[in-house]
Formats: sequence, C-alpha cells, structure tokens
Amino acid sequence: MRRGAALGGTSAALALGLGAALLAAPRPAQAQEPEPAAAESEPPLDGPADAWAAVYDPWEGMNRGIFWFNERVDLYLLEPVARGWDFVAPDPVERALARFFDHLRFPIVFGNQLLQLKPIAAGSDVARFVVNTTVGVAGLFDPAEKIGLVEHDEDFGQTLGYWGVPPGPYFVIPLYGASSVRDATGLAADTFSTVYPWFSPFFVSFAVTGTDVLNDRSRALEQIAQERGSAIDFYAFVRNAHWSNRRAKVRDETEAEAPAETEDDLYYMDDAEEAAE
Amino acid sequence: MKLRSAALRALAAAGAAWIAGTGLAQPLRAENAVAVESTPREVVERTVAQVIEVLKQKQLETPEKKERIQDIAYARFDFPTMSRLVLARSWKRFDAPQQKRFQAEFKTFLAKQYGARLLSYEQEQVELLGERAEPRGDVTVRTRIVGGDFAGADVDYRMRKGKDGEWRAIDVVIEGISLVSNYRDQFQSVVGKGGPEALLKELAKKNAEPDTKS
Repeated sequence: MRRGAALGGTSAALALGLGAALLAAPRPAQAQEPEPAAAESEPPLDGPADAWAAVYDPWEGMNRGIFWFNERVDLYLLEPVARGWDFVAPDPVERALARFFDHLRFPIVFGNQLLQLKPIAAGSDVARFVVNTTVGVAGLFDPAEKIGLVEHDEDFGQTLGYWGVPPGPYFVIPLYGASSVRDATGLAADTFSTVYPWFSPFFVSFAVTGTDVLNDRSRALEQIAQERGSAIDFYAFVRNAHWSNRRAKVRDETEAEAPAETEDDLYYMDDAEEAAE
Repeated sequence: MKLRSAALRALAAAGAAWIAGTGLAQPLRAENAVAVESTPREVVERTVAQVIEVLKQKQLETPEKKERIQDIAYARFDFPTMSRLVLARSWKRFDAPQQKRFQAEFKTFLAKQYGARLLSYEQEQVELLGERAEPRGDVTVRTRIVGGDFAGADVDYRMRKGKDGEWRAIDVVIEGISLVSNYRDQFQSVVGKGGPEALLKELAKKNAEPDTKS
C-alpha cells in the first residue's frame, strides 16, 4: 500500500504539514484569529458556521502558525538535504530503505492489530515479517507481497478510532506535521512502545529516525513540489487530505459499507438552488 | 510515518485518480450517442481503458496525449455539478457571470493540474472492485491501482446520471480523500477572506502559469 511512490511518510507529513504559509497569504502566526467562516454572513445551514467544513479545526490560527514554521524548516533544511540524498542514492536503494523502515514497524502494527481484534491480518503480518526478515534480507525486499502477504498499516491512533474515540481537533505538530489530538496521543504511545530504542544506544534511534525521514522526503520531492505549486491554499489542502485519509484508515474494514454521515452535505447541499433554476 | 503519509498519498492519489478519472471519460460525442444505457461501472471501465490506451501510445507526443486525455475527461466528468459542489454555500455569493467564469477556470485548473501528472503513470493498471449504491441514485464505482508506484491505492468514482441519461463522475475519492471536499476546503478559505473575485483571480493566476514539466 504505502509502498506508493513518494508517499514517503514523514517527508510527506512535514512538507504537507507546512505548506500553509505558501499560499495562505500574509498571515503567519496570528493565533486566535476569529474563524473566517464566522465572519461570513451566510445563514448557517445547520449548526455552527464551520460545520460544513470537512475538518474540525478550532485551533486554525495556531495550526497555521505551526504549519508555516514547519514549512520553513522543510524548505530551508529538510528539502535541500533530501535533494542531496536523492542525488546520491539510486532509486532502488531508496525503495529498499523505505521497505526496511516499514519492516521495523512490525511490532507496532502487530500490537495494534491485536488491540483491534484483527487476528487474521495479524497472523498474516507475522508470516510476512518472518518471510521478509529472512528471504527479504532484513526487510530490504518484500518477497512476502508476491505471495499474497500484503502490508497493513495500523497505529494506536487508528486503534483508538476503532474503539470509537473521535479524532478531536485537528492539530499540527511542530516538526512533524498534520495530526489530531487523538492521533498525537496514539503517536506518543506508539513511540513509547517501539522496541528497539530500549536496548540500543540513543544515537541509534536518532540515526534510524533521521534516515527514515530523509529517505521518505527524498522520495516525495516531486509530489510535494507539485502539490505546493498547485494548491490554492496548501494548508487547507493538507488538512483535508490528512483528515480524510485518517478517517478512511480507521474505517478500513467497513469500507464497502455506507460512507460518512457528512456525505449528504458533500454531494447534495445545493439541491435547493438546483431546483430554483 | 504512515500517519504522515496521508497527505502525500492524497497527492499521488490525485494523480493516479486523474488517470483513472480521466479514465471515466469517453471522448467523442459520436461515440457517446452510440452507447446505450451504460451502467456506471461500464462507463468507468471503458473510460479507464481509453485513458490507458492513450498513455500507452509511445509514438504520441506529450501535448497530444494531454489533449486526448483532456477530451476524455471533459466528456466524462460533470464539471457544472462539480463546480457547484466545490463552492457549496459560497456558490450563492457568485453572481451569474462569476459562476460561469468559475466553471471555466475550475475546469481548466483541474485539467492543467492533473494533466501533466497523469503522463507519468504509464505503468498503472486499474482493477475494478465493485460498486455501491448511494442515496438519491448516485453510484460509487470502486477501483484499485495495480502496479506502478501507487499500487494498492483505492480510487472511487462517484457517478451521477445526467439529464441526458449519461453517467458522469462528480467526484474522485483517492484513499479516502475526496477531490470535491478537498477543493471545497481550499476555496472556502479564499472566498471567506476575499470574496468570489479573490478566488477567480487565484485560479486565473494558476492557470496562466507555464506548465510544469514531467
């Protein structure tokens, strides 16, 4: 799944996380600015004025500030270094590294599958881990996929969502990117329960995380540049994309069923006008 | 890190979606006239096949490929409906000429933003997963990208039957990320701050930029 090209996680996140500044006009860190939506004099359809926005973002002012900051960090530090890395590292190496870092996530994915009562997927991932650790040379390659053991992506934020915890407010984490209160909590738990740092010197996990971030970012160079360039409001783009994608991930097993409650709003809200014509 | 990949994925998806999306289209009117009562699934299937066919033709120059895919997309996306859904509540703030301008700019915008991207997706195949009936007669056709860099990405097309009886896509949802919803959020912040003219200006500016390579 996530083997997807440049979808490099971290990089993505960061880059994505930040873009707001680019297009979001000259309003860096004015926290607590009143919701623009509230200023609109349109009659609310129902509920608060921002209810029809897809994302719950009561902290938009602060989030835009952090996004702007993250975006600077990416533009001036991460992206240039990633370009260098991309220049020296052949694509197959980048892909192998990305697979390796995914492989390292196995304990997290597995644990969360158990917590979400998904024994079949969990079993498949154990087999996958064994195959890729051995035949796949410590996870650098992914022979398991070819025999039908596809990758799954679980984390504690999804586990919380699985058990009904709502995402809470959208939250841009400094130096990390788009998240939510629920997912930030999950991230902390996942980080804490990542095994290898507990029995290796601190610089090992620094190096691993750093390389992971860098490698991901270098795989996403083109995409992020493109999206930055094409977005009208990059902050809103990232926010919506992240939020929707997380929602889909939490719902994974029920995908085929009826979708969100909000979809009526999305697809029919201007019925009235249509009729008026 | 998977956490963070969401947005990227969206992007990639957008590209892939477009491929498939454009895929929805069917080029010439003459052909459309021939098609009798296609199901939404058939429309998606046929359109995807057409787009892939165009992408595969190595002898075609890039601009011509773009143009052909654009024709397909124009025929199989319902741009007027998409324009309204994207503006949502703000639609009423646009007067009639502004609405017309918005429709034109938005259509150009989508074609320009995704047209270039699509061309790098030659490797992809599209697998049809099934369909799902939605309220009020819409149908969602579910597909998945097979092979290439975006293997495994889910791409759903929300189809609506037009007054002429033809099914057209009104939204593309990639990995859970809806094109309509995403642009709605982006446009809302611009219209909220600067009104309709601000958004029209932004779009015109984007549309006037030279094409990015790739």
